[in-house]
Amino acid sequence: MARSHPTDSTADGLPVLSLRGVTKTYPNGKSALRDVTLSVPEGDFVFLVGPSGAGKSTLIRLLIREELATKGKVMLEGRDLARLNRRDVPQIRRRIGIVFQDFKLLPNKSVRDNVAFALEVTGTPRSRIAPAVDRVLRVVGLAAQADQRPAELSGGEQQRTAIARALVHDPRLFIADEPTGNLDPLISWEIIQLLLRINEMGVTVLMATHNAEVVTALRKRVVGLEDGRVVRDETGAAYHRED
Amino acid sequence: MLAFVAFSLRRAWQGFWRNSVMSLAATATMVLMLMLLSGLLILWTGLHSTLDYVQSEVQVVAYLNDSATSQDVTHLTSDLKAMPQVTSVAYVSKAEALRRFQQRQPGVANLVDSLPTNPLPASFEISLRDPADYIDVATYLRGQGVVESVQDIQKTVSQMIAVINIVSTVGIVVMLVVALTVLFIIVNTIRLAVVARSEEIEIMRLVGASDAFIRWPFIFEGAFVGLLGALITIGLLVLIQAPLANLLSGFFNVLPVQASAMVGQNVALIVLATGIGIGVVGSYVSVRSYLSR
Ligand SMILES: Nc1ncnc2c1ncn2[C@@H]1O[C@H](COP(=O)(O)OP(=O)(O)OP(=O)(O)O)[C@@H](O)[C@H]1O
Ligand SMILES: [Mg+2]
Repeated sequence: MARSHPTDSTADGLPVLSLRGVTKTYPNGKSALRDVTLSVPEGDFVFLVGPSGAGKSTLIRLLIREELATKGKVMLEGRDLARLNRRDVPQIRRRIGIVFQDFKLLPNKSVRDNVAFALEVTGTPRSRIAPAVDRVLRVVGLAAQADQRPAELSGGEQQRTAIARALVHDPRLFIADEPTGNLDPLISWEIIQLLLRINEMGVTVLMATHNAEVVTALRKRVVGLEDGRVVRDETGAAYHRED
Repeated sequence: MLAFVAFSLRRAWQGFWRNSVMSLAATATMVLMLMLLSGLLILWTGLHSTLDYVQSEVQVVAYLNDSATSQDVTHLTSDLKAMPQVTSVAYVSKAEALRRFQQRQPGVANLVDSLPTNPLPASFEISLRDPADYIDVATYLRGQGVVESVQDIQKTVSQMIAVINIVSTVGIVVMLVVALTVLFIIVNTIRLAVVARSEEIEIMRLVGASDAFIRWPFIFEGAFVGLLGALITIGLLVLIQAPLANLLSGFFNVLPVQASAMVGQNVALIVLATGIGIGVVGSYVSVRSYLSR
């Protein structure tokens, strides 16, 4: 090993994330991923597509170490997640911004407080919280709704709140699981535009989706999963919904 | 560090009031259980001081021959006083014995008057530190020439020791069972409060909060529930203290009066420590299952 510090490796053009021969079998015997190999370099924008049950969410759960791979290696910024100390997991998660389809917003907190929450619970000094929150709310275009609660927001605005919260730690990797699932096409498009802007800021983006229209239009890298296997991995191609 | 404590306390306070119904339910359970515990504690203390009193009443009575001189009496008195098992020694002369007898049986007093000599022996009344020492002291006394006989209360003493042991053991077992039940119920109530906030815990984990940031607010919240429960319990105890003391002194009869203030202080301390302790342990256990993943 020539490299002394594995976390430095992304600076040398090593992938932000890589999976090598990864299999994930759930305790009930269901194999959600089979021998998946995938590498995403820094600054990439990757669509993860595939029918329902293909293993998209499972792959994401492996990346944030919600689950551990049954076989194979999952590396994040050069670090093997299986070898990661339990107490280092929070550090890794702060380098990943993640957005779920169900938003996971706290209903009794305002937009501003929901976003600030991510900083508060990770020990950020209070003086630094307000400016950081204001900045990301401006990025996602929610400055005007900062004092509203999730119930007083549209679906797209809720999604953007979740995106703001995922961005507030300045992540290297941004993961969105079906961010457009419940949104109408126009709003979906706005969300995609936002993710593209985040990608332009230098953040690597991985987006799981069913939305064929978007994938076709953007001609970005597409990784297709089917029944837990990678069935395609190409850039600039169209994607047709299989289900 | 200070910021972390401030954060945890703030979150604990918010957490308590945000889910106030659940928190108040936990507090109410805590009060109920602490009341039960302090009731047992008071009962136990009363029982114990009764036993102590009964124990202190155990006396060895040794009757002397009429040949015993006053020198013998002085000697034996100082020897007895020197024994570590003995707390006090009282000499009852023949004349004193007669006086007591006449007082107790006024009906036969005349009969005694008609006797040529005083038939009652002089005696020693010896109080013991512990009734279990009865045999030692009795054996010693029987070896003395001037001692005619030693009142045989061996059976009574051993029966009493057996009763005391049974009461102590049963008391401890009952207290343990109650304490464990309390812990179980409280832990489950707190767990419900934690489950109600599992969404929040999940988000904290996903945005990279360390275990300490997730755990400590709940532990402080549990401690707060315990503190509040203990204070309410102590308040209630103070309110019912006067009627309770009446009832107790009626029941136990011999409870030393000045002991009750100390009992109250001890009960208050135990209630506080138990309340906060159970609150902390309950939260710790409840939140741990969320952190193990
Ligand atoms: N915790 C679990 N235990 C057992 N099986 C699971 C678990 N989570 C997912 N699965 C199974 O693994 C497979 C892949 O699930 P996953 O959620 O990764 O699919 P997906 O591609 O995200 O689907 P969708 O597009 O519907 O969200 C499915 O067959 C699912 O039933
Ligand atoms: Mg999914």
